[in-house]
Amino acid sequence: MSNRMSAELAEHSDTSPTDQEVATRKASSIELHSLHKRFGADAVALDGVDLSIHAGEFFTLLGPSGCGKTTLLRILAGLEAPDQGTLMVGDKELTEVPPHRRSVNTVFQSYALFPHLSVRDNLAFGLKMRGLPAAERDARVDEIAAFIKLGDLVERRVDQLSGGQRQRIALARALVCEPDVLLLDEPLSALDAGLRSQLQVELQRLQKRLGMTFVFVTHDQDEAMVMSDRIAVLDSGNIQQVGAPSEVYERPANAFVARFMGHDNLFPILARDGLRVQSDLGWLELHKHAGQGDAGDCLLVRPETLEIGDVVPEGYNRLAGVVQERLYRGSRIEYVLEVNGQSLMVVASNLGQQVHQAGDAVTISVCPEDLVTVAA
Amino acid sequence: MNKRLWRRGLSAFWWLTLFFLYLPLAVVVLFSFNSANSSASLAGFSLRWYQRLLGNEQILSAFANSMVLAVVSSLVALGIGCLIGYGMYRHRHRKLGWLIVLIYLPIVLPDIVFGISEMAFFVQIHEATGWLRPGLGTMIIAHVTFQIPFVALIVYSRFVGLDPTLFEAAKDLYATPFKRVQHFMLPTIKPALISAFFLSFTLSIDDFVISFFTAGPESATLPIYIWGAIKKGVSPEINAIASLMIGAVALAALLSLIFNRRRPA
Repeated sequence: MSNRMSAELAEHSDTSPTDQEVATRKASSIELHSLHKRFGADAVALDGVDLSIHAGEFFTLLGPSGCGKTTLLRILAGLEAPDQGTLMVGDKELTEVPPHRRSVNTVFQSYALFPHLSVRDNLAFGLKMRGLPAAERDARVDEIAAFIKLGDLVERRVDQLSGGQRQRIALARALVCEPDVLLLDEPLSALDAGLRSQLQVELQRLQKRLGMTFVFVTHDQDEAMVMSDRIAVLDSGNIQQVGAPSEVYERPANAFVARFMGHDNLFPILARDGLRVQSDLGWLELHKHAGQGDAGDCLLVRPETLEIGDVVPEGYNRLAGVVQERLYRGSRIEYVLEVNGQSLMVVASNLGQQVHQAGDAVTISVCPEDLVTVAA
Repeated sequence: MNKRLWRRGLSAFWWLTLFFLYLPLAVVVLFSFNSANSSASLAGFSLRWYQRLLGNEQILSAFANSMVLAVVSSLVALGIGCLIGYGMYRHRHRKLGWLIVLIYLPIVLPDIVFGISEMAFFVQIHEATGWLRPGLGTMIIAHVTFQIPFVALIVYSRFVGLDPTLFEAAKDLYATPFKRVQHFMLPTIKPALISAFFLSFTLSIDDFVISFFTAGPESATLPIYIWGAIKKGVSPEINAIASLMIGAVALAALLSLIFNRRRPA
């Protein structure tokens, strides 16, 4: 019987589990070593991927389409075999194990609910294939239905479900098997924005309550940052950076990661002199932790660290610019400034301060500690 | 005004087409209930020709042959065609151009060509080995041959209409290859299989040309019997058989259509 899920139900009804309770649960780590995969002669999907995913972690594979993230997920599921390399889940090597003998379940992008089965039979499918008796299957399905709050959806037909409902059923169908690892292949991409952000929060809470290892694939950096404990950014079959959302966002390993995380203010470094770097913005003072980037690398200026105003605090860099464009976003105001012929994006929280108009000449200040250098 | 005339013209054309298609059938059915022994004038309503059928040994045996032939050949074609349809689906990404044409070809090949070649083939094998004496056995083989493409295409198009990730979901949810067939593939294509069975059944009952060339002395089917009988003139008895066949084929075609449409969303 599923002690984990029963314990969850009890906990869910009064308090959330303590960290210690979470830590005692079964969860598996994943070790990928030197994975290579190519399709045909010249389409390289994975070009030697090494990766460690911790037990009980919400881990996201992030990257543009064709970066290899889906191939990596399919190798974890066993739906694709690597050309080279090994895959360990917990202490078991799974490289050669077929998907039906892996304790790994997937939530597919298209949900892949069986059209010939009712919702209940869809949920029970994995348990039935594993040979659980009917009574136990029913009990487990009812349990997961209560856990994910499916309500009366269980008795419906698949074709009577909305997109969001299908998504929850697909999730429940995978979770009811209590896999060592749950894989999620862009499960939210087909939903509208409101439902999507609601489910992002739900999914993240669910993962924390279960303490299960989740591997999530997405091309949406906001989604990745909201949900993940750690993110791996992939490009053309290589891992560019692995780290917590704040690390990947604030200290991107290279220009690709910086751009993919949504940074526009990236300026090539022309020269470096100690803690001072020259770019098209002019000479700027850096903090000693800003990174070792030299000529040929890039300077990253995060738009939310820039301050518009005539008062420049002691030790801050000062820039002069002209407002080109102003985008009013309610909680914040975005300005596109022209500084030394370069476009510079500034994001200001809307705190009721003076709103600048296009054409205004303004002074911008930035703290040396907020500037980082990024490898090209 | 002109437009309305045009629409009426089109409508009249439609009804005229239906009229010419179905009037001969209606006449046959009508005369099968005629109490007079005539194909020219109607007298009163009677079921005597249907009763006469039940007393005619030759007709009963032809009916039995037709049924055995249709059911057995449809079942065999279902099994083989289902495997071929799945194979076509599995390897749909490979370049199978000429192989697909070979599957389609028997559908458009004239029955007479098909029938004659089957006959020549069976005769040669029979003379060489003593096997395949013309009879129900050879007819079943011949019918299976022309039914397979239809079954394969129905099964194939059913698989193509499915979300390909369903196959992966079944694997992911611990289904072994055998269980994937039992719990996913067969239940999913069941409506297509039933539809394909009834279509094959209809094709077999309908067939005269290929049956004629591959039949033996004791294996006359209803169409072969009718063909022999009308050489002596169209009797009301023939009308009764024809009416029954119209009913049976219409029913099988309807069932085929219903099951082909019934696809879970």
